[in-house]
Amino acid sequence: MDYEAVIGLEIHAQLNSETKMFCSCPNRPGDEPNRNTCPICLWMPGAIPKFSEHVLEKATLAALALNCEVQKHNAFDQKVYYYPDLPKGFQLSQFHKPLAKNGWVDITTEDGIPKKIGIHQVHMEEDVAKLVHETEGRIPISLVDFNRAGTPLIEIVSEPDIRSPYEAMEYIKALRTQIRYVGSADCSMEQGSMRVDANISIRPKGSDQFNTKVEVKNMNSIHHVGDAIAYEINRQKGRLNAGESIVLHTRLWDPEKRITSAMRGKFEGPCVPDPSVPQILLSNEWLENLMSQLPEMPSQKVERFVREYGLPYDEGVLMSSERDLSEYFEAVVEEGISPRTAVHWMTSQLMPAVRERNQTISNTPVTPRRLSELLAMLDRDEINAKSARDVLLKLFESDERPDVIVKKYGFKQVSDVDELEVLVETILSANPDAVDDFKSGVAKAMGFLIGQAMQASRGKANPKLIRDILTKKLG
Amino acid sequence: MNKKIFSYIDSKPSIVHENGILSGKSISIQPNMSVRGWPTEAGSKALERFVALEDATVIENLRTAGATIKGSTHMSELSFGLIGDTGAQAVATGEVDIALMTDSMGEARIAASSKNLFGFKPSFGIISRYGLIGLIPSMECYGIVANTPMDIANVMGAIAGIDDRDYSMPDSILPDFGRFEDCKKWGTCGVIAECADVLEPSQSKAFTAALSRLGETGMAIREVSLKDFDLFRAAHNVIGSVEASSSCGKYDSVRYGHRAQSARNWNEMYLKSRAESFGLLVKTYLFQGAYYQFENYETFENACRIRAQLMEDMEALYETIDVLIVPTQKRNDSQNETNTIDGVYDAFDLTLPANMTGQPAIHVPGSLFGRETDPGLQFVAPRLGDMRLLSIADHLMTVREGDS
Repeated sequence: MDYEAVIGLEIHAQLNSETKMFCSCPNRPGDEPNRNTCPICLWMPGAIPKFSEHVLEKATLAALALNCEVQKHNAFDQKVYYYPDLPKGFQLSQFHKPLAKNGWVDITTEDGIPKKIGIHQVHMEEDVAKLVHETEGRIPISLVDFNRAGTPLIEIVSEPDIRSPYEAMEYIKALRTQIRYVGSADCSMEQGSMRVDANISIRPKGSDQFNTKVEVKNMNSIHHVGDAIAYEINRQKGRLNAGESIVLHTRLWDPEKRITSAMRGKFEGPCVPDPSVPQILLSNEWLENLMSQLPEMPSQKVERFVREYGLPYDEGVLMSSERDLSEYFEAVVEEGISPRTAVHWMTSQLMPAVRERNQTISNTPVTPRRLSELLAMLDRDEINAKSARDVLLKLFESDERPDVIVKKYGFKQVSDVDELEVLVETILSANPDAVDDFKSGVAKAMGFLIGQAMQASRGKANPKLIRDILTKKLG
Repeated sequence: MNKKIFSYIDSKPSIVHENGILSGKSISIQPNMSVRGWPTEAGSKALERFVALEDATVIENLRTAGATIKGSTHMSELSFGLIGDTGAQAVATGEVDIALMTDSMGEARIAASSKNLFGFKPSFGIISRYGLIGLIPSMECYGIVANTPMDIANVMGAIAGIDDRDYSMPDSILPDFGRFEDCKKWGTCGVIAECADVLEPSQSKAFTAALSRLGETGMAIREVSLKDFDLFRAAHNVIGSVEASSSCGKYDSVRYGHRAQSARNWNEMYLKSRAESFGLLVKTYLFQGAYYQFENYETFENACRIRAQLMEDMEALYETIDVLIVPTQKRNDSQNETNTIDGVYDAFDLTLPANMTGQPAIHVPGSLFGRETDPGLQFVAPRLGDMRLLSIADHLMTVREGDS
């Protein structure tokens, strides 16, 4: 039978607020254990949670970035369960009255078709403490680090609109781009600031029923999400084809073995309205003020880049995929560099070099201004492309201006015709075979001779002039 | 000082202020109110050897007003009911002028009624609960037991006020506790007919007598009806136990309190520690709350709906009257039988409506209407009408003093 997959994702993203959700402890889970704690997040008797408006702003911005309807009346519930990582026996989350509902993000399917993936709801939730399991001599011990307890998360619950591993990965990427744009969260699966759980079921193609789903956890990269879903779809097909049925349960992805395996059932507690954290009522002014802080979002930006700068659509997408990248691009264009040249140099030269050095586009010493100065010299024929690439690498090592580096290392392009004619003569007399080849119609001999001339000039000759002189002399 | 009354006595009570509104007044608190360095076990093994880390906002405010905080009385486990509580006794025996109690179903009023004292429960959300180790967050507040309405008003003046550390306080314009109001303004009292129906014959007789005495002081009394009055008790029982169950989730023996020995893993440690920590009454209440949370959530939702409806019904009564009169107790001695959940609710079913609706309420002692052994009356006002009640109580006291 032909099956199709029905996939929904539940994504937890750590908000990058300064403080925790209900106290003023720093939101830095990675610090020395139990350093960022206070009576509130340790839930000492008599402490009262104090909900942070800053967290509310970050969460609401993320919800707006995901095209959600923000709920002007939302509230916290207690998700009741007992575990050592939860200092009060319940987790403050939003269940009955979530922060936002009915959003979507745009993706393109593997067949190149645009598709909207619906978002059921976005709600706020506090993170729990971290457990560290060690041994003391031969005795196993468990340590609790409360630095993470009470740090803010948003949970993004998609509609079951996803049909393939590819769509799932595209959805995560699109959602991540949107949230990073508004600056609410870093969304790095590798660093654990974003966790993705996938609910997967399959059904005969054409059917519109929802079958029993299986939840898969523990993927720590977007590719693992794709792999785990692909594995799980095949596993379920195998089951059904063998006449077995699918049972509701949770499975863990094993990145080493590249399989999922069943985990012990987790106890799901009830959700009771919390009586201590006041319900959240958002005024129109508050919401309008926040909406006015929204930056130009990627889809609008792509459209503008295509319209204003004449970029092809895919280059527009590329340049708007990250907010800091798009800002870098526009800064370079602002300096008078042609947009396509900027895209070409940024994608083929700058970005690989930045990544190689573990820098980011916003902290690299090759600022938009320095790159622009370099590209301007190239444009004026003062250096050739090869030299420009060499100078670019030198820009990472020094803080000198590109023109200073060009002068210092003698990168200036040789455009003196007399000087170049002498050079060409030398090359022609040294390579009689190539000259003969060219004359007998082997076109690539020209390329060889140009290469020889460039090499002899140690890369500094103006390649266009060399070609002109060669053509004249051989013609 | 008396160890039977006090669980902790401050050997050198500090007096911050010689000329404060409470200078010269001595106050007892309960060991669930945080004072830095004081044992704060809230009457429970779940908080065994717990010492408060900082002062509750109320403690800071009392000291600023010049009060002498003499020590902590004994209290019921986690402030549920009144078993073992000695707050009112501390006042009645003259150990202190004022006792601060935790009121989540009427504890201050019931305790006062047994000692011929005034017992006051303020409006919800006008006193910071920061540092109060509570049980039922949506209903509890500090309650005050004292000899005079003036003492209560002065304590309220000192401790009421918005606090940055208690984010759950709604923005309210606080009553002016510095000045009694003219009672002629609040002259119309409504007696809820359905309350009179549940009284024992002896209580009923005394209640009628007190009402006629009240009439003689110039207050107008009329009957009003709140037909679902009996639902207050049921709804409080469900919501209170659910909130208590959540509140006690933090007593897991990981960070403080009693930890059972010889558990083989964390789960067993939780189970054993909690089994050993709570007394039977509290354990039953928590178990009941967990039942509604896990097994019968619909009943909890219904209780919340009923509570909202009752609040509206109660609000509507004030369209024709200024204050409500409710008997304080059905029977004279019912607080003595509080070793079952039903027993607790039997004692508090006439006082707990004020806790569920967030309204202020005061118990005025029987001596003001007849003999000391008379049951007295409970007055209830709309939220933030605290000063109406204290003014009426002060008025009645003045009238009584004029008589004798």
